[in-house]
Amino acid sequence: MIWHALRLSLLVGFIATILIGLVGTAFGYLLARRSFRGKDVLDAFLTLPMILPPTVTGYYLILLLGRRGLLGEPLYALTGWTVTFTWVGAVVAATVVALPLMVKSARAAIESVNAEYEIASRIMGRSERETFIRVTLPLAARGLLAGMVLSFARAFGEFGATLMLAGNIPGRTQTMPLAIYEAVASGEDERAMWLALILTFISITVVYLTSRLSRPGKSA
Amino acid sequence: MTDKLLNQEENGIFSIFNFGIEVMLKARIKMKLGPDRGHPFTLDVDIEGGNGITVLFGTSGAGKTSILRAVSGIYTPDEGRISLGNRVYFDSSTGERLPIQQRRIGYVFQNHLLFPHFTAEQNVLYAIRDLSRARARQRARELLSMLGIGKTARQYPRELSGGEQQRVALARALAQDPSIMLLDEPLSSVDAATRSRLLDEICAAQKRSGIPFLYVTHNHSEAVRLGDAMLVLDQGRVVQTGTPLEIFNSPRSAPVARVVGTENIFIGEIVEHRIGDGTSLVDINSCRVQIPYSEQPLGSRVSVGIRSEDILVSREYLTQTSARNVLKGVIRRIILDADKAELVVSSGVDFKVSITPATIRILDLEVGTEIYMLIKARAIHQLV
Repeated sequence: MIWHALRLSLLVGFIATILIGLVGTAFGYLLARRSFRGKDVLDAFLTLPMILPPTVTGYYLILLLGRRGLLGEPLYALTGWTVTFTWVGAVVAATVVALPLMVKSARAAIESVNAEYEIASRIMGRSERETFIRVTLPLAARGLLAGMVLSFARAFGEFGATLMLAGNIPGRTQTMPLAIYEAVASGEDERAMWLALILTFISITVVYLTSRLSRPGKSA
Repeated sequence: MTDKLLNQEENGIFSIFNFGIEVMLKARIKMKLGPDRGHPFTLDVDIEGGNGITVLFGTSGAGKTSILRAVSGIYTPDEGRISLGNRVYFDSSTGERLPIQQRRIGYVFQNHLLFPHFTAEQNVLYAIRDLSRARARQRARELLSMLGIGKTARQYPRELSGGEQQRVALARALAQDPSIMLLDEPLSSVDAATRSRLLDEICAAQKRSGIPFLYVTHNHSEAVRLGDAMLVLDQGRVVQTGTPLEIFNSPRSAPVARVVGTENIFIGEIVEHRIGDGTSLVDINSCRVQIPYSEQPLGSRVSVGIRSEDILVSREYLTQTSARNVLKGVIRRIILDADKAELVVSSGVDFKVSITPATIRILDLEVGTEIYMLIKARAIHQLV
């Protein structure tokens, strides 16, 4: 059971990080480089999962994706499948909860790139998309990577929203933090300790990687 | 014939343009410049630039960079028309707006803006879009070695000196066979010796390419060395056009005099015309100076400009001199630099006088010393 929980946590963490990397970078770019109506509202909305208790975020996700949810109901009617109590639910919960970290890191990373480089690229006849891929992205790479590592750590350790949306089904949706909770609750002290140690070790590795990435040094 | 053309292109990178057809830039630009850049003001200019180097001269905030940005397409004017030869870049009356990537702009930025994650060669390659990989690389190499920096190809911008960085920036701007070159104070951060060599290279690049160059600067010697024509900008408007020497030697109005750095600008009244002498007498706060004969009637108020280096100083009163003005004054201040000195001499009004530090030593000048200032009538310019 330990290994299943670890494998699931890593899987959820990786998939969530990829999604967060894409979505978070897009939102970060939008917030860093564009001015539009309602930008502050969008910014506040994207920050919300960081401020709210994860159980509340999880509750809203049930309202949205549950079998009778806003999106969940048509999805169920169409496919007979629902997100709740599946490992996909764990991915969704982890993604939403960790996204604000990435949006903030990505925004800061992109803002730190001198916008004049982008202007230079545009004058050289490169499209906005090419400019983003060949200039902005590489110059912001360190910050973006650091943001993704942090997001991974957050997603990997997600508890509250995951419990709400995906439940705590051993062998199916039980991630590491949930397994620890259950081990402690049922008095399996040794199991709880091992799980906690593994999780701590992975988290320390991640923090170490982040500090190495954010240290100024030889950049690409 | 086709063969010959191809050969030419192989030999010289820009020979494709050397057909002597003059392509003119014409830009009428009207736009509000936002409050995000300090004080809001309206840019309202009508400029032309032919085959040659046209200098846009002005203090910072005059709107020079905004003109370049409007021509390149980064800024969209509120109103106006920008065209290069028969290609219309922008026309507010028809709503035409040529996308940036079709304008073929060579742009050299003030702080070079070389991409830090690209080598010198990759920076140049990035600007070349329409050649095969091999041809593009060959061209990048040719450009770099033409500018004397062939061996820096594999180095990153941070490993290059200021002069080398600016050369790479120049190569990058020339790389895409531009239709026009826009240079925004490209030499403001290089040392004097490098600046001088780069000025020659910019001149040479213009001659080879035969396309209009718009060159923004507020440096006199750059303007004089490069400019075939010059426009003086002040607060978003063109205040004088001509050759750099014409403008520096005889600024036509007080704003121009201020922009081009005529240190002494006074307002006075014409009190006498001496037709026989070819001079007129102007009273500036009871200090009387002779200026070249003025068309203005007696009693009219005029402003005059005198460059600080056009004033000579003497400890004795001189009579046998060609200088029509010998004015007695008292030194109020001495501002001493390593290679130049400026005196503020009071004679009814305060004159700024530029001399060498040696003069201060030899004439034993100090604050409070009485001296005479010698000014030729011809060195006093009446401003409109």
